[in-house]
Amino acid sequence: MAKPRISAYLPPDIDPTKAALAFGRRALPKLNEELQSLELLTQQRALMALCDLVHDPEKVYQAIALGFLDSLKNLLVHEDQTVRQKTTEVLSLMALHSIGREGLIRSGVISALTGLLDDPVDLCRKNTHQIFDMLAKLPEGAGGVLQAGLIPPLVLKLKTELDEIQELILGTLSNCLRVEVSEALAAGAVTVLKEKLSHPSTVIRSKAAWALLEISSHAEGKIEVCKEEVIPVLVSLLEDTQPEVQVSSTGALMFALVTPQGRSSAMGAEAIPPLLTLVAEETSKARLNAIKTLTLLAELPEGRQTLLEHRDAFQRCLDDPSEAVQRAAEIALTVIDWKP
Amino acid sequence: MVPIRAPELTAPADVPYSFCSQPRSLPSRPKYREQSNAAETEKGPVRYGNIMIDPRVVRGNVLSVRPPPPQVLGTEPHTLEVKRQRRAQRQVLARKFAHEQIQPGTPEPVEGREHVHVQTELYLEEISDRIIEVDGECQTDDFLDRPPTPLFIPAKSGKDVATQIEEGELFDFDIEVKPILEVLVGKTVEQALLEVMEEEELAQLWSHQRAFAELRNAEFAELQRLEEQDRRIREEKERRRLEHLEKLRKQKETAEKIAARAFAQRYLADLIPSVFNNLHDSGFFYDPIERDIETEFLPWLMSEVEETLQKKVLGRTMLDSLIRMVVEKRLDEFSHPPPSAQTKAPAEEPRAADAAPKMSGEADAADQPVAEKEETDQPVAEKE
Repeated sequence: MAKPRISAYLPPDIDPTKAALAFGRRALPKLNEELQSLELLTQQRALMALCDLVHDPEKVYQAIALGFLDSLKNLLVHEDQTVRQKTTEVLSLMALHSIGREGLIRSGVISALTGLLDDPVDLCRKNTHQIFDMLAKLPEGAGGVLQAGLIPPLVLKLKTELDEIQELILGTLSNCLRVEVSEALAAGAVTVLKEKLSHPSTVIRSKAAWALLEISSHAEGKIEVCKEEVIPVLVSLLEDTQPEVQVSSTGALMFALVTPQGRSSAMGAEAIPPLLTLVAEETSKARLNAIKTLTLLAELPEGRQTLLEHRDAFQRCLDDPSEAVQRAAEIALTVIDWKP
Repeated sequence: MVPIRAPELTAPADVPYSFCSQPRSLPSRPKYREQSNAAETEKGPVRYGNIMIDPRVVRGNVLSVRPPPPQVLGTEPHTLEVKRQRRAQRQVLARKFAHEQIQPGTPEPVEGREHVHVQTELYLEEISDRIIEVDGECQTDDFLDRPPTPLFIPAKSGKDVATQIEEGELFDFDIEVKPILEVLVGKTVEQALLEVMEEEELAQLWSHQRAFAELRNAEFAELQRLEEQDRRIREEKERRRLEHLEKLRKQKETAEKIAARAFAQRYLADLIPSVFNNLHDSGFFYDPIERDIETEFLPWLMSEVEETLQKKVLGRTMLDSLIRMVVEKRLDEFSHPPPSAQTKAPAEEPRAADAAPKMSGEADAADQPVAEKEETDQPVAEKE
C-alpha cells in the first residue's frame, strides 16, 4: 500500500525544534494547549512554531481572539530563559501588526512586561524594549506606558543599558514625552539626555535630540531645558556631520527658543551662523527647522539686525519644492522686516 | 589449392596498392532463394560466410615449405584425381587416428585363446557383412519464403521478481511533482515576500510618520512662536492698559480730592460759628461759679430740705400712730358686746392699719397731704 511517507527518514527540512502544526484552523488552538502544558520541551517547541506563524496578520488576529495573550503573559515569568526570550519575540512580532498592538494594550501586557526590564538575558530586554517602542507609537500605547509608571525606570535604564537598547528606550521616551512630561522631568530626564547628546553613536545622538524636542514642546519642559543649559550643547550639535542629528537638534532648538530665556541663551551661544549654513544647503532636511528657529531668533532686536543682512538666504528658500519650507520662509521674511 | 593468380602488376609509386580485382570477402551461399522483394526492400546485413568452415580456404601451416604440386603436362585432369586421392588418403588417416584414439586397448588374447566378439545385450543382433540397405527417398518441400525475422527475445536469466502495482500508484514524477513543488516554493516565497513587505511597509510607515512628524513639529513650533508672540503682545498691552487705567484713576482721584477739598472748605467755612453756637446752646460754655452753685449747693440744699420734710413726716406719722393706738384701744373697749361689729371692726382695722403704715411709708412731702387725706378718709369710712 502506498503511504504518503515515502521513506523512513524524514525530509531534511523538518525542524525538530518546532512543534508539528495541526491543519488549518486547528493549528493555533492546539498550540495554545501546548503552551499551557507542564513539560518544558513542549512549551519551547510550541513557542518556536508560534514565532513563525505570527508573521501573518490573520494568524495574529486569530491568536488574539483565542486568548493567547493570557498564556503568553504567564510564560513571561518562566524560569527558563529560552521560553522568556521566545515569548518576548512573539510579543514583539505581534506588536508589529496593528491588531496585535491593540490587543496588547487592551490585555495589559505592558504592566506584565515591567518585570522583564531587569532580566539578565540581553535578548529578552531588547525584545521588551522593542515592544514598548512599537506600542508607544500609538497614542493609547503611550498612555498605557505612562500609566504603568514606566518613565522613571526607563530614564534610569538609559544610563546603564547597552547601546542598541538605549536607542529603543530613547524612541519610547520620545513618543511618551509627547503626551506628558512631568514624570520624566521629575526623574531628571533632561540631565541624562544632555549627557547622551555627546555620545559617539549617531543614532543615539539624533534620538536624544529628538527626545529633547518632545520635552521642549511642553511649557515646563522648556523651562527645564533652559535651566539645565542644554541649549549651548544643542547649538554645538548643529555643526555635526550627520544629517539626522542636525534635523533633531534644530527641531529641539526650534521648540526651546520660544521662551525669552531660551532665546537669549541661544544668542549667547552664537546660534545664528550654523543655522544660516543649514538654511543655505538646498537638500538639507533640517532646512525647515532651521528657518523656524531663525524666525524665533529674529524676534529679538539683535537677531533681527543680524538677519537683515542675510535676507537673500531666505529669498532663495522661497524656491524650495516643499511647500512647508516656502511658507516658513515667507513668515521669516515678514518677521525680519517687521518694524515696531 | 591457392588459386594461381596472375602476378600482380607492379604498382606505380604513388598508389600503395593496386589490384586487378579488389580483394573481397565472399558472401555465403544463400540458403533461401532470392526473394523478389528482398533486393529492393532490405539490403540487410550482408551475410558473410564463416571463413573457418569455408572449404575454399587453405588450412594448416602456411609457413612450412610444401612440395609443389607435381607439375606435369596436362596436369589439369590429373590434378583433380590426385587431389581426390590425396583427400581420400587423408580421410583414412584421420579416421584411423580417431578410431585409434577412441578405442581403449584391450589386451592381446592369451595363448590358446582367442577373443571373440560376443553380444551380451539383451537383444541379439544379426551381424552380417551385408549391410541392410533400405532405399529411402526424400523429397524436399517447396522452398519456403524466408520467414520474417523473429523478434530477438534473449533467454531469460536471473531471478524472477514480481511487483503488484495498484491503480493510481503509477505516476509520472515530473508531472505530479509540479503542483507540490509550486505550492512549496510558492509558500516559501510568499512567506518571504510577506516578511519583506512587512519590513518595507514598516519602513514606509516610519518615513511617512517621520515626514508627518516633521511637518507637525514645524507647525507646532510656529504655533508656539505665535503664541509666545501673542502672549508678549498681550502682556504688553495689558500692562499698558493697566498703566493707563492707573493714570486715569489717579487723575480722577486727584480731581475728586481737589473738589472735595474745595467743597469741604466752603462747607466748613461757617462751621466754626455754628459749632460755637451749638456748644453754647448746649451749655458747654458755662460760668464756673454758676455751675458750682448748681452742682454742689443746690443738691445739698435739696437734701437738707428733704431731711427736714422727712422729719416733719416722721413727726406726723408718729402722731398718726399715736392717734391710731388710742382709737384702737377705744375700739377694743367699745367692741365687746356686738361680736359682728367686732369682727367687722377688726377687719376694717387691719385694713386701716395696713393703709396707715403704707401711707406713713410714703415719706414724700408732696404725698403727705394725700396720705393724710386718705387716712382721714379711712377712719371716716370705718366710722360709717
